[in-house]
Amino acid sequence: MANYYNIDDILAEEEFVPVVFHKAANGVIIDPSSETNSVEQGAKVELPLWLAQDLYLRQAISISVPACFNQRTRLEIQADAACVDLKSRSPYFYEFGCKIAPLVGDKTIEILLLSAFKIRYKEILTKAYTAAYTTASKFLTLLTKEESNLYEAAQVSMSAFKKWRMGGPRLQRASVLGRKRRSFE
Amino acid sequence: MHGRKAYELVKEFANGDKGHLKIFNNELFEQVIEECNEHHNALQSLIRKMQEEGLEVQTARNADHYGAFIHHLSLIRNKRCLMAYVHNRAEIIRELAWKVGLLHELPGEIQEKFSDLEEQYFKDHSKSLKSYMSQLSLDVNVDMVPPKDPYIKVRVLEDLGSGIILSDKSANFARHSMHFLKRTDAEQYIARGLMEELTG
Repeated sequence: MANYYNIDDILAEEEFVPVVFHKAANGVIIDPSSETNSVEQGAKVELPLWLAQDLYLRQAISISVPACFNQRTRLEIQADAACVDLKSRSPYFYEFGCKIAPLVGDKTIEILLLSAFKIRYKEILTKAYTAAYTTASKFLTLLTKEESNLYEAAQVSMSAFKKWRMGGPRLQRASVLGRKRRSFE
Repeated sequence: MHGRKAYELVKEFANGDKGHLKIFNNELFEQVIEECNEHHNALQSLIRKMQEEGLEVQTARNADHYGAFIHHLSLIRNKRCLMAYVHNRAEIIRELAWKVGLLHELPGEIQEKFSDLEEQYFKDHSKSLKSYMSQLSLDVNVDMVPPKDPYIKVRVLEDLGSGIILSDKSANFARHSMHFLKRTDAEQYIARGLMEELTG
């Protein structure tokens, strides 16, 4: 419950997972292939994680590994993790992976996440410090939410360091007001 | 799909620039609440059905039970999304009071984005901050950046006129005029973008 108000945590739980119903459920419109508003036993549907999680704990469904952790992704990550487009697979690749791993009982997901993150982390920091904006913008589209936060943090700390070294105004317009007029960089 | 509207609401908040407010999306907010009511009705009718069939609601595990359970989860999810939306906005609003200014010092274009309740919240928060500061007889929302010098040089960016009286002097703050002010006096005007600090 620590993350109850956390926007990213909420969004990560909206990722869809393929599930199979072991129990029928009445009065819900979840199965698009069903004609009545109920779910049959054995129906295969995609549910958001927040719904699947608790149904799984009640043993009403079983969850299979979502498409973003399939064999193809694994092979691509093994080849060169830094170039894989994780954002299109899931903008919350790591958070989603951590949540789904215990539910599907697949230990390899955790290893996959860790090795992917290690390699990409190094790449992100290097790019944040060195790459020009034009080349970086292409690279940025591949990053998950967490990774782009890291990238921004690296850039902010870099510019704060530069500012500290050069001196300059220490008080400025509150950032909450947005950048309307000239910037103070 | 269940919880889709609530997701859109949260997503809209997340898509905005960090720490910036958008206009309170009353329409979508109401729609999510409406959806909650629908879930609640569906939940109750399923439970009623179970009772009519003479089943023990607590222990029976039939199709109706799982249907009701799904509605229950959807309700909780919607609630969480609504709470998170309001909570995170409230955080920004409190930050405004600290960083930009209390009560009437907030620029109009930001106040327009508040809902009525949020406006009240901002006012109340400002009031309690103010009374706390007067009890301490200390401005707690200045000197957020550790000061090097009690006085700083500033340039006025917008015509403020001579109506402003600062703690140690009053001057005509015409546009582009430069002044040597007490740092604590100048700070709030800099935060609101009406003055800028000059260095060197």
